[in-house]
Formats: sequence, structure tokens, C-alpha cells
Amino acid sequence: MKEKLASFESKIAGKKVNLKQQEKRFSLLLLVPVLIFFALMNILPTIWMLGLSFYDYTLTSSKGATFVGGENFKAFLANQQLAQSVTRTFVFLLLAITAQTALGILIGVLFWRNDKMPGRRLALTLFFTPMVVTPIATALFWKLILDPTFGVANYFLESLGIAKTDFLTNSTLAFPTLIVVDTWMWTPFMALMTLAALGSVPKAELEAASIDRLSIRQQITTVIWPHAKFILMLGILLRSIDAFKTMDLTYIMTNGGPGDRTELIALSLYRFAFKSFKLGYSSAVSVFLLFVAIALTAIYLFVLNARKKMEA
Amino acid sequence: MSPATLVMKPSRKKAPIRLITLGCWSVSILFFLPIAWIIASALKPKGSVLDLPPKFIFIPTFENIIGAFKFSNTLQYFINSAIYSFVSVFLAIFVAFLAAYSFSRFKPAGTDFLMFLLLSTRFVPAAAFVIPFFQLFNLLQLKDSFLGLIIFYTMFSIPFSVWILKGFMDGVSTKFDETGLVYGASRWHIMFKVVLPQVRPGLVAAFIFNIIFVWNEFLFNFQLGGLKTYGIPVALFTSITKGGQVDWSFVASIGTLYVLPLAIVIFFFQKYLLVGLTFGTVRGEV
Repeated sequence: MKEKLASFESKIAGKKVNLKQQEKRFSLLLLVPVLIFFALMNILPTIWMLGLSFYDYTLTSSKGATFVGGENFKAFLANQQLAQSVTRTFVFLLLAITAQTALGILIGVLFWRNDKMPGRRLALTLFFTPMVVTPIATALFWKLILDPTFGVANYFLESLGIAKTDFLTNSTLAFPTLIVVDTWMWTPFMALMTLAALGSVPKAELEAASIDRLSIRQQITTVIWPHAKFILMLGILLRSIDAFKTMDLTYIMTNGGPGDRTELIALSLYRFAFKSFKLGYSSAVSVFLLFVAIALTAIYLFVLNARKKMEA
Repeated sequence: MSPATLVMKPSRKKAPIRLITLGCWSVSILFFLPIAWIIASALKPKGSVLDLPPKFIFIPTFENIIGAFKFSNTLQYFINSAIYSFVSVFLAIFVAFLAAYSFSRFKPAGTDFLMFLLLSTRFVPAAAFVIPFFQLFNLLQLKDSFLGLIIFYTMFSIPFSVWILKGFMDGVSTKFDETGLVYGASRWHIMFKVVLPQVRPGLVAAFIFNIIFVWNEFLFNFQLGGLKTYGIPVALFTSITKGGQVDWSFVASIGTLYVLPLAIVIFFFQKYLLVGLTFGTVRGEV
């Protein structure tokens, strides 16, 4: 009897192991297609990029790729113009995102306070549309609006008694104009995140706060902010990542000009690669941007996990 | 409470609400004005787009929009964009669904790391990756081919799809899977017949937003494609950079045809906007 039981037990145990193995195999099988795509379209290009960054390779020159070690990185670090592009990108990011966040919170709160307004869905559709328009189209639209001779913006300025200006070639106005257009595009996004952030505050806590007659300031600091801060931070992070990638917009609107007033890092990189065809050198810049992206992703996930922990 | 305050209360509360409504509508219209101006420009009779002073009242005409299709390959570009959007996104969501199920249910070693890598690929500036892709496509002779671009856009859509679907699947209790197994259902059956119906909102969001992202993608289409395989953003781009006088009626017409589907999608799928634009990392009501 005892023996039988023992053999039975071992049988069950064996089956368990078997099942475990089967499950493991199945779980990996499910991942195969995504992993193939990932290896083919992400890992391979990344390795290629890393490799290329150690070579001197210019597409238009007749000599092939020659190994130069860290020369590209040295040249990149020594390049004043690129350093300026990076700084300019951060200034752009800081100013644009501050404006978008401030406006976004304001508008988000307006829409939040008014969740039963007539035609809310249509109003939000009109409001949200700018952020899903591709930057190429945005740039074109604003070029037509800001045109120095026949643009409608200048028409209004003129009727207010302000002289016609070419916003996009004026060396003091080009950069602020770019920020204004970016703010037009992305304020809706920050408003959306504000709405989500406010929506993440438990209704019961809000009601309790208003029953306890907390002042608006107290409500914000003790009830709303502890919940809302995560989503708001995620929004700001996503915007930072996106602002860092800005290229299409400047490419069409100003092409980095006048001079290099609106030259952001992604556009510099594009030019190195496809105007001067310095592939080795631009790969080194790409590697730098890749590291920035990985760092930003890590911060993003850190905030995301902090939120999960708090909710759990 | 005195009768006076009882009477006062509703009117005092209503007034600011009306004001806020007015504010909301003003903001919305203000933000939409630039797009409305483009649509208006497309509907103006040819030749009056650049009129000074600008015309605000005019008899709309569709001659520009119809005319845009007669010009070069406009129709082809729209069809191309639609092909990439639908074929690639469908493929991406299918394989992402399998992977998301595995990540969510079995949590194989390295799940967190892979999820991290997947997200980071969407955070790298496109210009950084365009060089290796450009060379790779040349080497494999995939340049200006539908196959190449469909593969590219499938890859492009996978990270976001995995994130969004895993998020939704984590919200479905594993009890469903266990019950299914007890009753002798296969894993495939559980995945497609039990779990899939419950993550339908995630599928819809993934579908809609990947289509928007692919519909909007410019740089890779421009560098990896060619005259045969360009999409709408490239068509918009070349319409202004081809030199000579810019035909603004044409640009506005293509712009209008490009932007209207987006506005309609936002109207009907507004509740997915949040999860869509945060790559599936944030969910909630708006």
C-alpha cells in the first residue's frame, strides 16, 4: 500500500514537472515572433550603429570604412556646434514643456470642473486634434498662417498696427515661434494628462474632503496632489522624451535657421547622416541619443512603478 | 437657512458653470482655428488662397480637393498609407497579443527587461535609427518595396501593442485561465476565447493608435521608401520642397484629407486617447 502510494506520488510529481516544462516551452513559443522582429529590427540595427560609430565612413567618399576607434566620439564631444544643439534642445524642452504644463493644467481643470457641459465631446475633439496631427503637417499649416506676405497671422497683426514680420526667418523670433507652435500642438496632451491625473483621485476621498470643508488649497495638497502627481509626472516625462526627438517640425518650418537658431539635436543628426553622409560620425551621435533615450525610459518606468506601489 | 440663501444658491452656482462652459468652448475653438483655416483654404476657389486681405467669407468649392487627386500620385499615396496602417498594425497586434499573454501569465525570466527595451525603442529619436535601417534596407534590397515597409511598420507597432495589451491582460484575473484549464480547455482556447474578449478595449486602443502612428510616420517612409511607396506625410513634404511656387491650394487640400479622418477618429474613440498616447502605460477616464 505504502509503495503504491509512493509511486503514485512520484508519478504526480513527475507530471507536475512535465506540465511545468510544457508551460515554459509554450510561454517561449508565444514570444518567438516578437523576438524575431525585435532581433531583426532592433538588435541588429543597434549593433550596426554601435559598430559603425567606431569607423570613419563617409558614403560619398571613395575610400571604404576605416576603423578609427573612439575618434568619432572625441570629435562629437569637441564639436561646439553640436554641444550648442544639445543645449538648445534642452532650453527648447524646458520652455516648451513649462508652457504646455501650465496651460494644460489650467485647461484640464476647466474641463474637469465641467464634465457635463453641452457638446463636451465635440469641444474636446476640436481641442485634442492638434496633438495627433503629424509634425510635418503642423509645420506646413503654420507656414501658411505665418507667411510674411499673405499669412493670416500677419494680416491680424497689421490691423492691430504692428508691422509685418517674417517669424520664421527673424533671428530673435524664430525660436520663440517654434515654442509657440509646439505649445499649440502639445498643450492638449498636458490637458489630457491633467484630466487623467484628476480622474485618478478616488471620488470618495474628494467627497470626504468637501464634507470636511477643507479649503481648496488643503484639498489640493492633501487629497488631489498625492494621487495626481504620478500621471502628471508621466505626462511631463513623455513630453520631454518627445521634445528631445523633435525633428520634423523644425525641418520644415525653419530648417534649423536662421543661422542655427532653431537647430535641435535630432535635426543636426539627420543632416550629418543625409546631407554630408558622414555615417560613422552620425552613428556616434546616435549612440549618444540612444543612451539618453534609455535613461529617460528608466526614469519613466521608475515613476510608473512608484505609482503602482502606491496604489497597491 | 434663510429663504434668501435658498433662492440665491442655484443661480450663484449656475453662473460660474456657464462661464466655465464658455471658457472651455473658447479654448477648443481657439486651438482648432489653425486647422479650420487650412480646411477653409482648401475650400476656397483656386487663386484666392493667397488673397490680401484674406477672405473669411466665400463660397466653398471642392475643385481643389478633387483636383488634388488628378495631380501625380496623390491617390497612390493615400492607398499606401492605408496599406501600411492596416496590414502592419494587424500583424503587429497579432504577434503582440501572443507575447503579451506570455508576459502577463508566465512571466518568463527577463520579462521586465524586455518590456523596458521595447518601450525604449519608441523613445529613441527616429533620426538615430534611420542610418542603420537605410543601409540594412539597401543591403537586403528592400528599399522602395512594400514588403520592406510593411515589415518595418510591423516592428514599429509592436512595442506599443505589447505594452497596451499586457496592461489590459494583467487586469484579467488568472482565475479565468485556471478555470479553463480545469475544464480541459487548451491554452489556445483560453487565449482566444476567454481572455481575448475581455481585453477588447485594449485591442481597439492598440489598433486605433498604431494606425494613427503609422499614418503619421514620415522619416522612415521618406528614407526607406521611394516614389512607389511614399505615404501621405511624404506627399505633404514633397509638395512644399519640390521647388518653385508652392501650390497652397494643393497643400491645404491634401492636409484637409489627411486631418479629417484623424478628427473623426478622435471624436469616436475619445476614451481611448489617454491609453493610446501614453503607450498603454496610463489608463483612466477623461
